[in-house]
This record gives sequence, structure tokens and C-alpha cells, in this order.
Amino acid sequence: MNNDNKKWYSLNLKKSPKVDSCGCGNDSGSCSGEKTKDGYDQVMNVSMGRRAAFKKITAGFLIGAGAVSSSCSVVSGDENKEKSGIEWEEYFKGNYKLMTDKEKEETVNRLTRSYELRTGEKINMTSKDAEKDVLFGYAFNISKCQGYMDCVNACVEENNQDRATEMQYIRIHEMEDGKGFNFEESDDNYYHEVPAEGHFYMGTQCFHCDNPPCVEVCPVQATWKEKDGIVVIDYDWCVGCRYCMAACPYDGRRFNWKTPEVPEQEVNKKQHYLGNRLRKKGVMEKCTFCIQRSREGQNPACVEACPTGARTFGNLLDPKSNIRWILENKKVFRLKEDLGTEPKFWYYMD
Amino acid sequence: MIQKIVVKTLIIVIGLFVISCKHSHENNYHTVTDKIEAKTVSPENLTITSKTFNENIKTVKFAEDGYEFLIPERKSQITSYNCTECHTQPIEKLKQNQVGEKAAHWNIKLAHAGVEIMNCATCHSNGNMDNLHSLTNSEIDFNYSYKLCSQCHQKEFKDWKGGAHGKQLGGWAPPRLSNTCVNCHNPHKPAFEKRWPVRFNTQKVKERQ
Repeated sequence: MNNDNKKWYSLNLKKSPKVDSCGCGNDSGSCSGEKTKDGYDQVMNVSMGRRAAFKKITAGFLIGAGAVSSSCSVVSGDENKEKSGIEWEEYFKGNYKLMTDKEKEETVNRLTRSYELRTGEKINMTSKDAEKDVLFGYAFNISKCQGYMDCVNACVEENNQDRATEMQYIRIHEMEDGKGFNFEESDDNYYHEVPAEGHFYMGTQCFHCDNPPCVEVCPVQATWKEKDGIVVIDYDWCVGCRYCMAACPYDGRRFNWKTPEVPEQEVNKKQHYLGNRLRKKGVMEKCTFCIQRSREGQNPACVEACPTGARTFGNLLDPKSNIRWILENKKVFRLKEDLGTEPKFWYYMD
Repeated sequence: MIQKIVVKTLIIVIGLFVISCKHSHENNYHTVTDKIEAKTVSPENLTITSKTFNENIKTVKFAEDGYEFLIPERKSQITSYNCTECHTQPIEKLKQNQVGEKAAHWNIKLAHAGVEIMNCATCHSNGNMDNLHSLTNSEIDFNYSYKLCSQCHQKEFKDWKGGAHGKQLGGWAPPRLSNTCVNCHNPHKPAFEKRWPVRFNTQKVKERQ
């Protein structure tokens, strides 16, 4: 190994002290993007040579395992070769945050092609960046929600969530009148005629905090806040440690205990790299405000599906948007405001 | 010696101050509300549009009290509009001739306020049946039926204008297209009905057993 490279666990104590410590309201796409290098960056930025060395070691292992042998084989077909070529490239791609636009496009193309090779179907995946002057926010009218759960169904279909484990990003809580927000006594899996007498309904999902604790705890920086305020996950970088799940005070994150399965005819083909593309086993996922829709100007699936108009989505930086009117004219509040997480998800009543 | 200690303490204190106080930095905000306030842009500078998602919806313009947005056009959505295509005679001549005879629109049961407050003629005109009419008998176009509703439901009307009541169609980006009252509420029976939720999570039940 190269002598210039630091060992992976070394701490560079000579570096200037970390200035941005609390991480709130950073303008950059990720809180840590412009920060002084922490453990992760020390490894990834300083020692590209080390990375190369790592590659070689893994390559050796993989050759042993025979993954490459098929791509070099004269016996196996072109498709197989292409497949293992794609797998190879995908295996060694970098963190999405560090990718150039070209690299983003390449990985999107690889994933699209790989899906085509596997299923014979074409998907339409993008890696569209955040628009300028957009900061997404969400408002939920507790007086209006009737507990029909149309939003949950729409979300599952839109975001290709696993059907077998019935994963759902949205929870609708049935709460008893007069008890306030009592999550311990509320029921988020009711099945009777709604709205039930003496109850009200409220939904929770990822609140896309402006100061997200889940981002801070990720040991591999596989999750971050985008410029438009959406907290996203790079499913290919996530190691599945579930620290973020534990850090989230709102139960906004979900873990894939098994490979998600979606019947081929039900797969939503309009996908985003950071959004609803098919996940794999052992990674985190969650609501992304339907990034594949919202970045195009469309409403998230839950907003579109809600028959009561309890859900409002919009641009917080547009003074003429509905969400801004709600924030300025209704009595709004957020969950656990005292934590300083600054969720961009407000509740209000008529 | 003492001087050295004082200087060292001072350095530490200043150092701590520099490290802990990040709010003096540009682009850092104490709360998200501060951030929203500081970064708000004038609407003309926003480029993203949701036009493509609303293309198939015929719209009319709402412009009152400084609010301006689109609402779905209504007349073309009403089965058998124009009303006058059937109603060639005045209402008086359509009265039931004998007891038990089916009245016109017999399938519509009014469940909107009480009988002493509202009947068909509160909104529908005797004279020009192609239009509605207000409490003071001025004509209201079917496309602008919110004018009728807002006579009583003023609080809802105010929230709807602003965007806190009702539903925005297509996209969040301008131009705003919002459902008008009758797109969500059946004017003859405006309350939302009880029904079963569309899903029940059997896995959650198993997990929590």
C-alpha cells in the first residue's frame, strides 16, 4: 500500500477546528457539503490512492468470486457481459453528492439499462437537480382529514413501495377528541367506517426538517438535505445501519428488511435516482415529497389523491403560494418544535 | 505567569465563541421561518410552471379581492346543460298534476342546511334557468357558482381564496388552478360521507402482535 495514505481511522488533529457545528439552516445542498472535512471526507477526499488500493483488493476478491470471469468469458452471451459490466461499474461508483453531472447521467443510464436487461421493460429515470428559488413545504389541515387513507394508497403506488411487507411512508393516526395529540393512545391502523364518532385524524410522514437529525448521524453521508429542502437518501450508498431511523423523532424513516417487490405491471416507470427507483434489501427509504413529481412542478401523489383538500404542498419562497398564505394567515404549528429540528411540515385547523 | 494564564483563558474563550457561534455566517438562519423570509423571491422571477399538468382542464379565471387564479370551467361538465334545452316552459307549468306523480329531478334530495332555510329556488332561477341567482336575485353564472356559496360560507370562502381550504390541481407551481366549491362538494348534499378507509395494513397487525 501507498505510504502517503493515512489509515482509515486516523484523526487529523492538526486541522482547524470545525466551525459549523450546529448545522442548522445551511444554504448548501447538504449541511456538510462545505464543512471542514470530517472523518468521512478525510478518507474519501484525501486518499483517492487508498480508494484505488481498496478497489484492487475488492477486485481481487471479485475475480476470485468469478464475477469478472463472466464478463471476460468467451462462452457467455453479450447480454451477460453487459450485465456484469454494469454491475461492476455500479459497484464502484461514488457517493451521489460527489458525482459530476456526467457521472449522474451515466449511473442513471446504467440503472435504466440494467432494469431493461432484467425485465425487458423500459423505465424513465432522471437525476433532475433542485430548481433555483424553491424551498418545499407542506401543510396539513387536521380539521379536514377524514381518515380515508387515499393518500397512503397513492403513495405506495407512486413510490414503488414493497407490497409484501406493506411498507407505507404515510401514517394516518386516529386520535380521540379531547385528548390532543396523544400518539400512544392513537391508532394508525384502524379499519372501520371513517370518520369515527368522537375522533379526528392527522397524518405523519417525513417532515423534511431544515435541521435534520437523521442527516447528522449518518456515518457514511448517504442521506442529506437538497437545495430545495428535500431530505434524500442515496440508496446505493446507504449501509443500512438505521442510525437515521433512531435519530428521527417523527418515525419518518423505513427500513427494507427484504428486497422490495412490486408486480411488474404496477411499477411506476417515472423514477428519480433519489426518489422512487426500486430499492434493494437492507437500505433506508422514506417520503421524498415525490421528488420525481415535485421537481417538475407537480404535486406529490398524496396531495393529488386527497379527496378532502387536507393536504397543501408548495414553494415556501413564493410569496403568492397557497402554503405561504396558510403560514401567514392560519394558526399553524409543527410537531416537537422544541427539538429545533425545524420540520417543513405544518399543521393547522379551520 | 498570571498574565500567561489570563491570555490563555482569553484565547480559549474567544476560540469557543468562534466555534459555537455560527449565526453570524451569511446564509445561516436561526429558524426556517427566518430563512423563508430572507430568501423569498418575487413571483415574477420564478421560472418553474405546472402548466403541462393542467392542460386538459378547461378553466375560467377567478379575480377578486386581489387574488387571481384559475378554477375549472363548470358548464361543460354538467350533464344536460343548457337547462333550457328541456325547460322550455316556465316552472309553473311543470308542477305535478296528481299526487304521487314523479317530479322532475325526483332523484335529487336536498341535504343542505334545513328545509326552512333552503330549497331548490334558493339557488336555481325560476326565470332564466341557465343561470343561478343570488339571495338578492341577481344572476350568477354556473361557472362562478362560488359566488352563491360564499353568501353564507364566508369563512370558507376566505380560506379558499387564500389557499387554506380546497384543493390545488395539477401542480404546486404557478399558475394556480384550484377546485371550485362544487368540484368537491355536491351542492345538493355538501357534507363528505362516511366510508371505509381504502386500506388496512395486515403486516402491521402481525408486527405488533
